[in-house]
Parts: sequence; structure tokens; C-alpha cells
Amino acid sequence: MKEDLPCTLVPVASLSGHEDRAWGVAWNPVKSLLSTCSADKTIRIYTYTSTPSPSFTLLASVPTGHTKTVRGIAWSPSGTSLASASFDSNIGVFQREVDEDEGNVGAGEWECVSMLEGHETECKSVAWSAEGNLLASCSRDKTVWVWEALPDGDFECMGVLMEHTQDVKCVAWHPTEEILASGSYDDTIKLYLDDPSEDWFCFQTLTGHTSTVWSIAWSPCGRYLASASDDRTIRIWKRVEEHKWACVHVLDGAHERTIYAVSWGPKPDNAGARTLGWLASAGGDGRINVWELEIEEDAEENSPPRHRLLARLEGAHSVSDVNGIVWCPREGYRSLLASVGDDGEARIWRISPSG
Amino acid sequence: MSDQTFNANPTVFALTKSAKRRAAKELLWLSQSDESDYDSGDEFEPIDGDEVFDLIRSISDPEHRSLTLEQLAVVSAPQITVTDQRNHIMVEFTPTVPHCGMSTLIGLSIRVRLMRSLPARFKVDIRVKPGSHNSEHGVNKQLNDKERVAAALENPALVEALEVCLATASRRGQPVEAGPY
Repeated sequence: MKEDLPCTLVPVASLSGHEDRAWGVAWNPVKSLLSTCSADKTIRIYTYTSTPSPSFTLLASVPTGHTKTVRGIAWSPSGTSLASASFDSNIGVFQREVDEDEGNVGAGEWECVSMLEGHETECKSVAWSAEGNLLASCSRDKTVWVWEALPDGDFECMGVLMEHTQDVKCVAWHPTEEILASGSYDDTIKLYLDDPSEDWFCFQTLTGHTSTVWSIAWSPCGRYLASASDDRTIRIWKRVEEHKWACVHVLDGAHERTIYAVSWGPKPDNAGARTLGWLASAGGDGRINVWELEIEEDAEENSPPRHRLLARLEGAHSVSDVNGIVWCPREGYRSLLASVGDDGEARIWRISPSG
Repeated sequence: MSDQTFNANPTVFALTKSAKRRAAKELLWLSQSDESDYDSGDEFEPIDGDEVFDLIRSISDPEHRSLTLEQLAVVSAPQITVTDQRNHIMVEFTPTVPHCGMSTLIGLSIRVRLMRSLPARFKVDIRVKPGSHNSEHGVNKQLNDKERVAAALENPALVEALEVCLATASRRGQPVEAGPY
């Protein structure tokens, strides 16, 4: 099926090494580091050279200490800490042993500086707030925990949110404000705020998906939220009031099986003024889709952003499901997309004009 | 697992004849390791519903371990749909009673058996026969959530129960005394 699309995903690198299914992938926001996590209980950290054709080298395979699958990972905004969510019901925080100076890539072992216990069953996802002072985690135990990162490397639990009626699959922080979103097996998305005089509370439940919400991604501008589901649709939610989001669009028919991951990249390098960034999705059909989203001119309050399918790739990981997908957030590298799959591989793609 | 009895006196059905295409090969294959019937997922070998049925028919029922899923009519060939060109398999099974608390374990044993035996190119959906279970939606959702399945397979107690059910799977419809087991 040859489609006439404006862009193509060009393979840049294929990174093997995990001995089991790869579940998650995360770009370090400030350093040339990429990490992946797997059912083999390890985290692999790669370093890469500069564009246009970066090459990737394994820096470390971190044993983690987790006794079960490492399901999700997230870099802190400063790029110094890597958090992990594991089926062993713990959240790990890893840092490099000694302060490295850029270029001296061989220095320092990655060590676990904190193991956060509290969840009762498998942890599925972990996310740092924009300022890096808060960490959120979620689990099959139906709860979302908000942790405060203290200066001495300790973490204190600030709240346990028991709003979902089922397994919580994903958490994601708003890019600038302290607003947290979680997606669940109960088909809903919950949005939370911190009440300065009280506790964290849920201020809105987003309903519409007809099956599990696997992944959520805020737009870099913070006005939109994208959610991916087992119902094989992606919903775009828009901020219509200060604390109110509404579904403004449903991307239907783009996937044939469960959509496991969605990533909303920062404004691409050299992008037009109206762009909202690129949205990438991937799932059990092995397909990757990339859309360009733009603000509509003279837009009504509830109008969706203008969207255009830029690229589509079938069999991104051969016959395997694609479990994770994420845009590189670093300036100069924003055309790079990383994916991980059931084949245990991480693959790097560059979106380029077709032809 | 649980001591609770869900169906104390199940109806037992006669075994059907082994799937014709496989039957001829069966004797030749008996000496081989059952898990290596198919090579790498890259090689294209057509698969049909009879072959899938052969793989799962002799899984033991978790509640009545001396009986197979075929003998209890939990699985049958007509309930399997293979769309080979689209690499898709749909397996429907029928719990013996609508309140069967073992349904998730039965479904999981079918999924694990197929995961271990079929080429990697196949995507498998498993569901209970519509109307056959009180918690139909819940059972179906759990069986098709690969994260829940992956987590279940890291639970040693559950894996132990699964392996008991799967130990007989390689009989592929042969009665116990006829097989080499």
C-alpha cells in the first residue's frame, strides 16, 4: 500500500541488546543520552553523536535491581535522574555516580539512589513535573502517587490519588503547570491539581474512549492533550477554560490494533508560527503514524487543531508490536523519533520530506 | 488456586478425530520437541484453524485436571478463525458454566500455548463465546491486555498453575494411553 504522503520515516539506527520485550524509551532532555527499558529487568543507556546522521553507542546496561519487568522510564528535566516503574511494584531513581564532564562518556556507573516503595502491585508509568520537583507514579493497584523530590535525594509522598476504578496505565505532567493527567484501564483520563490548603485532587474526568487508555501526551504549548487507546483511536482534548478540557477531535482509522503510545513533539526546528508540533502514534499493528498539527486561523473555541498525516510506516519493528514511541526534545534533534517493540529493539527514525 | 468448585459435574464430550492434515504428520513428529513445530517468525508457513485447534485441544481444564478443554467442549475447531494473510487468529472459548471463575486462567493457558507455539507474526485475540459468561467483558478485556498477561506471567504461583494445564497440551487430541506420555 503505497501512499502519497509528504514525509517518510528514514531508519537511523537499530539498537538490539535487550533479552526480552522492550517496553519504554526516553530521550534525555539535555544530554546526548537515550535510554530503554525491558522485561529483562535492565535499562540500557546509549550515547549518540550529532546530527544529521547520529550514531548510537551503548554507554551502560543498568541491572536496576528490579526483580520484575521494567515497564516505564522517565528522565528528570535537568537530565540528571532517571526514574523507573517496575512490575515489582517499586519506583527506582538512578543517577550517575560521579559528576561527569561532557565528552568523558565512559565515566561513572549508574546507581540506584532511591527505591520508592508504596504501590501494592505492578507500576506501569512514571513522570517528572516540568520543574523536576515532583514525580508521579501509577499502578495496577488503581492509585496514582505524587512524590516530592527533596534536595538530599529523598522522596516524600505528597498524595495518593484513588480516583480510578481500575489499573492505571500512564501518567503525564502538563509541560508548564503543576497539572497531572492519568489514563486507565477504566477507559477514562483524570486530571489533578494541588490544592494549596488541602491535598491533590481530581478536577476533571475525561470520558469518551471506549477501552483502556494506554498513553497520554500534552502538547508542548500546554493547551492540548492527546490520548491513545485500546479502542484504536486517538482523542485530542483542548483547554476550553482554565480547568476544563474538552474533546475536540477523534483520530479514527489510523491503527488496526491497540494504540500503545503517543508522543507530541516540541515545535520542530524551523517550523512555522502556527505549528503545534508533530504527533506520533504506534501500536500493536506495528505501525507508526506522524501528524502535523496546526492552529486553525480564526479558530472557534472548540475547533480542533488542523491536522495532516505526514508519514506512515508499516512494520516498524517487523512483525512485532510497537510499545513505545517518543520524539527527541533537544533542539537540533527534533526530527528524531525513537521506538521500542516486542522484538526487544529500539529503533531511531528521522522524519524527512519524501522523494 | 482457589478451592471453590465452579462446576462439580461437567458434561464430558467424546474426542473428535485428530485434524486430518496434522494426523498424518503426528507420528513423525512425536519424537520431536513439541515447542519447535515452527521455526522463526520470518518464515511464512500457512496456518489453519485445525492446526490451532490441535495446539490447544489437549490443554487440561484447571478445575478438572484429568479432562481436556476439548473433552469439556470449552474449545472446538469451529470457534477458531484464522485469517492467515492478515496474520490474525481469533479463538473463542466456552466456559462450562457462566460463573466460571477459572475462565481467565483457561484463556491465559490458551494464550500462552499459542504464544509459545505459533510463529511471531500472528496477533491472537481470545474471547469467551458471547453470552457464555457473567463477566464476559471483564474476562475478554483482561485476556487481551498484554501488559496484564505479561505481569501474570511474572507471578510464580500463577505460572505453576498454568504449566500444569499446559503439560498435556502436546498430546494434540490423542487419548492419554495412545500417546508416549
